[in-house]
Amino acid sequence: MSYAYLFKYIIIGDTGVGKSCLLLQFTDKRFQPVHDLTIGVEFGARMITIDGKQIKLQIWDTAGQEAFRSITRSYYRGAAGALLVYDITRRETFNHLTTWLEDARQHSNSNMVIMLIGNKSDLESRREVKKEEGEAFAREHGLVFMETSAKTAANVEEAFINTAREIYEKIQEGVFDINNEANGIKIGPQHSPTNPSLPGTGGQGGSQGGGCC
Amino acid sequence: MFRSRSWFGVSWGRPKNPHSLEHLKYLYNVLSRNQTVSEHNRGLLVETLRSIAEILIWGDQNDSSVFDFFLEKNMLSFFLRIMRQRSGGSSYVCVQLLQTLNILFENIRNETSLYYLLSNNHVNSIIVHKFDFSDEEVMAYYISFLKTLSLKLNPHTIHFFYNEHTNDFPLYTEAIKFFNHPESMVRIAVRTLTLNVYKVDDASMLAFIRDRTAAPYFSNIVWFIGKHIHELDACVRNDADHQSQNRLSDLVAEHLDHLHYLNDILLLKITDLNQVLTDHLLHKLLIPLYIYSLSSICRQSEVTMETATQNLARVLNKSLSSFENNFQHESSNGKVSCVVSLFLLSQVFLIISHSPLIRYLAWIILRTEKSIFDQGFDKLLEQYDIFKRKFELLESEQGNQTGLHLEIESNASSSGSKENLLEEPKNITDEEKEKLASTPTETTNISEKPFLETVYNSLDCTDNDYAALFALCLLYALANNKGVMPDLLELVLKPRISASKSIGRDIKYSYNTHLVEKLLHIVILSCQPSCRVRLVTLELALKLLLQLVTCDGRNVMSDVHKTSIETARAQSTALLRNFYKSEEIFLDMFEHEYCDMSKGPLNVEWLCMDSAILLPPTGTPMTGIDFTKRLPCGEVERARRAIRVFFLVRDAVLTLNGEIETQLPLTNPQSCVQIDTALDLSIARCVSLSQKSNNC
Repeated sequence: MSYAYLFKYIIIGDTGVGKSCLLLQFTDKRFQPVHDLTIGVEFGARMITIDGKQIKLQIWDTAGQEAFRSITRSYYRGAAGALLVYDITRRETFNHLTTWLEDARQHSNSNMVIMLIGNKSDLESRREVKKEEGEAFAREHGLVFMETSAKTAANVEEAFINTAREIYEKIQEGVFDINNEANGIKIGPQHSPTNPSLPGTGGQGGSQGGGCC
Repeated sequence: MFRSRSWFGVSWGRPKNPHSLEHLKYLYNVLSRNQTVSEHNRGLLVETLRSIAEILIWGDQNDSSVFDFFLEKNMLSFFLRIMRQRSGGSSYVCVQLLQTLNILFENIRNETSLYYLLSNNHVNSIIVHKFDFSDEEVMAYYISFLKTLSLKLNPHTIHFFYNEHTNDFPLYTEAIKFFNHPESMVRIAVRTLTLNVYKVDDASMLAFIRDRTAAPYFSNIVWFIGKHIHELDACVRNDADHQSQNRLSDLVAEHLDHLHYLNDILLLKITDLNQVLTDHLLHKLLIPLYIYSLSSICRQSEVTMETATQNLARVLNKSLSSFENNFQHESSNGKVSCVVSLFLLSQVFLIISHSPLIRYLAWIILRTEKSIFDQGFDKLLEQYDIFKRKFELLESEQGNQTGLHLEIESNASSSGSKENLLEEPKNITDEEKEKLASTPTETTNISEKPFLETVYNSLDCTDNDYAALFALCLLYALANNKGVMPDLLELVLKPRISASKSIGRDIKYSYNTHLVEKLLHIVILSCQPSCRVRLVTLELALKLLLQLVTCDGRNVMSDVHKTSIETARAQSTALLRNFYKSEEIFLDMFEHEYCDMSKGPLNVEWLCMDSAILLPPTGTPMTGIDFTKRLPCGEVERARRAIRVFFLVRDAVLTLNGEIETQLPLTNPQSCVQIDTALDLSIARCVSLSQKSNNC
């Protein structure tokens, strides 16, 4: 299927916070959330619509690669959006956010949109991190915040789509250099300009919003 | 997604509970009745494949009979049959098929299930299947599948993928075909996979990697890095007006990615593999490209240049039509500009720590003499082998002192290298040693070392500090890389202690006076009005200077040099005084700069990640380049600069004298209203400043 833009996301956070489950829940809604099944995946893609434009999201889970410095730094650099996930039932996953964020800020391009996700909101009785704490952390570091549940699918959709919307707005404002694929953004095949030496012109449907400043 | 309700789909009656053995049986029937993919059944097939993933994982976690059924019916063979069909929107089905496999391998917890799944070689058949890789979606799911598998590798599972008898390892060999794929996420997945493979402790598999694939794979990597560097070099040359900063920053980041990847491989400490990799890196990239590019500014000695070029040409098996020393010529014979080469070498020394590689490189830069260099590549290697043998001998010895003697002896005995490696004559007496220490040999024969000479010459900031910053980075990186032998650095980048044997005599310290003078020159230049030295250069020069003259926590600087730095301090104060009179808000600026600078010392590794420094120094803030990494623009920035120079020099002098700062900052931050730390730093700073001024 054709798209106007492709956004590449990464999901980061401690192990066991439910990154791969969030990913699967978002990319394949047909997996019905059931109580006795934990199921996740490391990669997924899905089409969404923003402003009447088809946008494809590609989500790469970085799990299991933390041991290699070269891999993490490359992941950060190649992504337009990142979901930073912690588990509301495990305080330590919240405490590690600073380290994750430092890493992300150091390696990513400065325009990468980061969304903070407090996952497992369905486990209210075991909650260790208050929602207000998550909100405060997000405010302090300029992130968007949301509590989700990969289990009940609550807010999962919103988390990914809101991130995409923010990236999309940045493109409209001309903050992102969309002709540079290293930023984790790709222009759809039929939208790319016919003459590669004239970037930012001739795209169909006015997809070339911002261009360069 | 729309699910096509074909005749086959409904005929068998779908069980109500999607998580049950009955449901899998139902799905099996759907598959067996729809073995040919067509426009009509592909929706059904996709949904079936998806459901299979779901039920198998449920079974793995809840009911083992589900998995038994899957294996008993050999359902993976259906998968193969489906993907081998080329018609009926196969890529649509293939994507689901690959995703089902991803889900399976990602989620299976039961080891026995995993072994069964892998045991009939179907997975390897899927790996070697030629999917339509031009489809970006298929490519992404395929490479994720391979990566997921690689995360499951361990000494037990490796045998399902690596076949010792047929000497076949499709998971690895198929993956590395995509090493240079245009899509960055694919490249990352391939790198991850290779690292996951290398880290499996299996001798025969590693032998396969070494014998069959290491040489071609590594030479490919090295070739692409080289190609990349030429692009980077071209980008720097053609961008005097800072137009393609984005492109340049990508190229620099990519180079860093490569170095980190190579370092990650080397850190796995697989001896055989590291040998092949080190060899390729040194002889096909680092020496011919990085190091030999350093010789390009040896313009004082035309003869050397010519012979060097000839040698290089010989090394690269290229014939040269002209010996003109210009850029075109340089790039045609594989050279890059000196600044680029200094920058890249700094990155190498900052990132890679594998000592056999680092040792050799450091040896070439610090020790190679013109006579050897002129004789070409082979001679260089030969010389290093002698050096290496000595070092190995040295390493095998326990005592350092005995080792040192051995070095001298073996050196003297190797007939061909009399004048080359010897830093000092053999059989030195204490008196002679002292003499040597007071007039280091480095100063006298520096012009004999072409690469080190280039580095030293680059430190000249009279016109600008463009190259000087990189030379400083390289020297700093060399001095601080743990892989470099301390012996090699002695008297070049760290002081030498000459402990006399006779009791009662003082320990003599000596250091690289030539380099110290060069650094002091940079410092003094920085303290002049309207000079062209950037703050970052000054900070790094001072940082290196401290390292060069500090030994056992003591400042071993000679009196002459102490006087020089004191002069610099006096000059920086004088410079500051001008602005004190002219700037109205001087005190506020003063405090602000102090506050800003105390946020942390210069991080050289981060500095070398910044591609902005690769472009000629500029004064305009419009480029978005950090204040410390460019020249000041306007009177206010000149005042800021003067303040910072004052701080930097003052701090260095205090450190050299072993004193602690007691007078700065002028206002005590504790007495000010504390700002909520939650605020963004820059805002916090502004607010705190305005409050400070209100308090005053």
